[in-house]
Amino acid sequence: MASIRDEGAAGILLDVAAEIVAHRAYLSEIDGLIGDGDHGVNMAKGFGRAAEQIKPEDRLSSAMRTLSGVLLAEIGGSMGPLYGMMFAAMADSLERAEGLDADGFGQMLRAGLEAIEEIGQAKVGDKTLLDAFAPALSAYDAALAQGKDFTTALNVLAQEAIAGRDRTVDMVARIGRAARLGERSRGVPDAGATSCALILTTLSRSVARRL
Amino acid sequence: MSRRPAHAERRRPPLRFGDDPLLWASWLYYEEGLTQGEIADTMGTSRPTINAYLADARARGIVRIAIATDRLRSLTVARAIEDHFGLDDCYVIPAEGGPRTLIDRLGAAGAQVAAALLRPGDVVAITWGRTMLALAGAMAPARIPDLIVVQATGGTTATIPYTPEACTTRLADQLGARVVPISAPAILSSAAAREMMLSEPVIAEQMAHLARVNRVLFGVSSLRPSSTLHVSGFLDPEAMRRGDYAAAVGSLAGRFIDAAGDPVSGPLDDRTVGMSLEQLRNVRTRVLVAGGPDKVAPILAALRGGYAGALVTDTDTAEAVLRAAGIDPDNLAFGSRHGAGQGRNGAPVEALPVRHKVKKFLNASCDAVNEALEGALMAYPRHLAPINGNLRALARPGGSRQGKVGLVIGGGAGHEPCFLGFVGEGLADAVAIGNIFASPPPDRILTCTKAADQGAGVLYIYGNYTGDVMNFDMAAELAAAEGIETRTVVTTDDIASAGPEARQSRRGTAGNVFVFKIAGAACARMLPLAECERLARKANGACLTVGVALEPCSVPDTRRPAFQLKPDAMEFGVGVHGEPGVRRDPMRDADEIVDEICDRLFAELSPEARRVAVLVNSLGGTPGLELFVLRRRLGQRLAARGIAVEMSLVGHYCTSLDMVGASITLMVLDDQLAELLDDPCDGFAWRHQPR
Repeated sequence: MASIRDEGAAGILLDVAAEIVAHRAYLSEIDGLIGDGDHGVNMAKGFGRAAEQIKPEDRLSSAMRTLSGVLLAEIGGSMGPLYGMMFAAMADSLERAEGLDADGFGQMLRAGLEAIEEIGQAKVGDKTLLDAFAPALSAYDAALAQGKDFTTALNVLAQEAIAGRDRTVDMVARIGRAARLGERSRGVPDAGATSCALILTTLSRSVARRL
Repeated sequence: MSRRPAHAERRRPPLRFGDDPLLWASWLYYEEGLTQGEIADTMGTSRPTINAYLADARARGIVRIAIATDRLRSLTVARAIEDHFGLDDCYVIPAEGGPRTLIDRLGAAGAQVAAALLRPGDVVAITWGRTMLALAGAMAPARIPDLIVVQATGGTTATIPYTPEACTTRLADQLGARVVPISAPAILSSAAAREMMLSEPVIAEQMAHLARVNRVLFGVSSLRPSSTLHVSGFLDPEAMRRGDYAAAVGSLAGRFIDAAGDPVSGPLDDRTVGMSLEQLRNVRTRVLVAGGPDKVAPILAALRGGYAGALVTDTDTAEAVLRAAGIDPDNLAFGSRHGAGQGRNGAPVEALPVRHKVKKFLNASCDAVNEALEGALMAYPRHLAPINGNLRALARPGGSRQGKVGLVIGGGAGHEPCFLGFVGEGLADAVAIGNIFASPPPDRILTCTKAADQGAGVLYIYGNYTGDVMNFDMAAELAAAEGIETRTVVTTDDIASAGPEARQSRRGTAGNVFVFKIAGAACARMLPLAECERLARKANGACLTVGVALEPCSVPDTRRPAFQLKPDAMEFGVGVHGEPGVRRDPMRDADEIVDEICDRLFAELSPEARRVAVLVNSLGGTPGLELFVLRRRLGQRLAARGIAVEMSLVGHYCTSLDMVGASITLMVLDDQLAELLDDPCDGFAWRHQPR
């Protein structure tokens, strides 16, 4: 069964960090449309600083823990705790699993999603990162249930994350700063959903490449 | 000129221009180099017509103006390097270019970059090597006042022309600067010899300058046999033979780094005299100048290790560095930074609006918050001190009374004088400060909590924002684990942000200031935690705010307006984070704007309300004069309603960077709130003595 080991897989997280840093300006511009325009800068700061402390030969779980620590200790805002707790929960799940096969990967993402649901009060449909994350993970699980292989399921995850992000364009924000804009928040994608889609697509691509 | 006819008369273009005056004009202008006046004479028409022809020719594509491909290539590659490695600057010169050697051209480019960076009073360090000497020699003579040039390392063998001494003195000569040499060899024969050297007062004094360096110009050396490192005698052949530095790919200021940029330690560590890697990385402006095939691996390592803030190199080297970092330089999307076009993950393709940069007093934008805090600490040493050296967690110096409830406030930066201006006697005990418009993280809030705790528990007060709530809640859990009881009051005074039925979901804005004051007074009266919490809640419930923006704010990182407003438009119901308001309205006279605000505020006042405190607050860019114009109309409206103003604040209290706009806050008073409001307080943004 296709799987990757936790040992020496920190490069996966470095790929994610590089992708976030590369999209710094883009994420800020998206955020600037209905938020305060600092999403890209803060995300790049957190992921970039964490990447400096991670070596490609590290364990993926310890890399996630490093990232979580930086996000929680230095970044603040709402993304610090949300992504910080998400990566901490994913690291816990990964350590318990000792390796990533298709089921383990799904469980890891599930743990991350639950951590976000616990700390934030958002629900699917509120125009947040959950709108990229939750449907993508459901589609991933469904693909596996249909007997699809790991690589195919990873592709499904990436596609659905992007589709989820794009659906936020037509949503009205119900939580976070943009919520105060009501109808005016319609018509642009949510910055959190955009960064979440970036994280999920890069994770999926980077894991698939290592299978 | 012979071509010019004696009389201006409209002439037919020569046949080869196919009866096209645009083409003819373009030819004469761009190919024959005539002025527009000369062309007008030649064509028998007027100069403005020629001007219009030339503009048309560009618009119709007859003339295409192109940036030379190699230059464009340099720009694209430089931007990719900046983005990938998070550099402040990258300057890439064409790899091929005339008779001068690559090292000379890199030196000249480095000198140009350095000249733009150096300021009076700087302490600049320079390393040694061929490129550094070329840089020093290419420096245009200038006289920068109070400049000091420090030799970054000890000296090397004098058999090479580009010694540390030579690079340092050459640079200092060009700039009229004072030289601080390091009068010791860079590598000593033993650790004991180094100890002895460093204990010499002259050398200790020279070395002390290295800690004051605020700009550094440095090269990298490869470890190949012909490298500067080898020929300068910097390498200990014995150590190399033993493989002590097998993992090293390059050397900065005589120290070794591996491919990831991590220091490689070895026997030379305690025999080397000069700037350490840690010192190098902590220098504020760090310009790496290097190029050539053997420099690719060392440059990549230096960039990965975060040693360079800016890089000067050539296209070939830059592309090789990108390739080594896993980026295909032939596949760089030009202009993708602006979000136009297809993103790498199929990101949406709408072009985002082009916006202009706003001028600001900044050094590096990423340093803005810390530099502002350093300045505030210098300005108000009696009010604020860092907790355990933490610049973002500040408390009253000297602490507070045993048994007093601690008051911790906080939030993002960019609201100055909020929140730090409200720390002091009769106000808050400690403040946690985040990045611009972003909540501080939990650890920092916990630091404040511990500093504020005097055994009676700690009260948190902050604005109602998702991020602040998450971070303060996590801090509260951490505090509970350490046995400190906390209570939380989130402020919700902004009535534009949600209806009265959803009061608890409104955001907190300038009303914060009154809530801090009431809670601070309650704590100072030594009331128990539950009572302080109750009074803070009561104060928040009594506060109502509406804000209006005339121009958006811009954050230091982007220096771009957060949103766009037409000349005749304003945003009604803005908050304090640069986000748009709840409604866009046509611009009106000041009195009409105040009337609209008052209508909204009064609609939520109970008919019995007879006494208020008012705050007319600038959102950052609105001057005092206009605030008083607003205050005037507010006074008229309150008087007309029979409401007495018992306290009045007008000025910058809770801002949104440079947003042009203002907010008006009313706090409805009863005897209890009025009394607490009149208690003494002493924060740098609010000092009050009882009447």
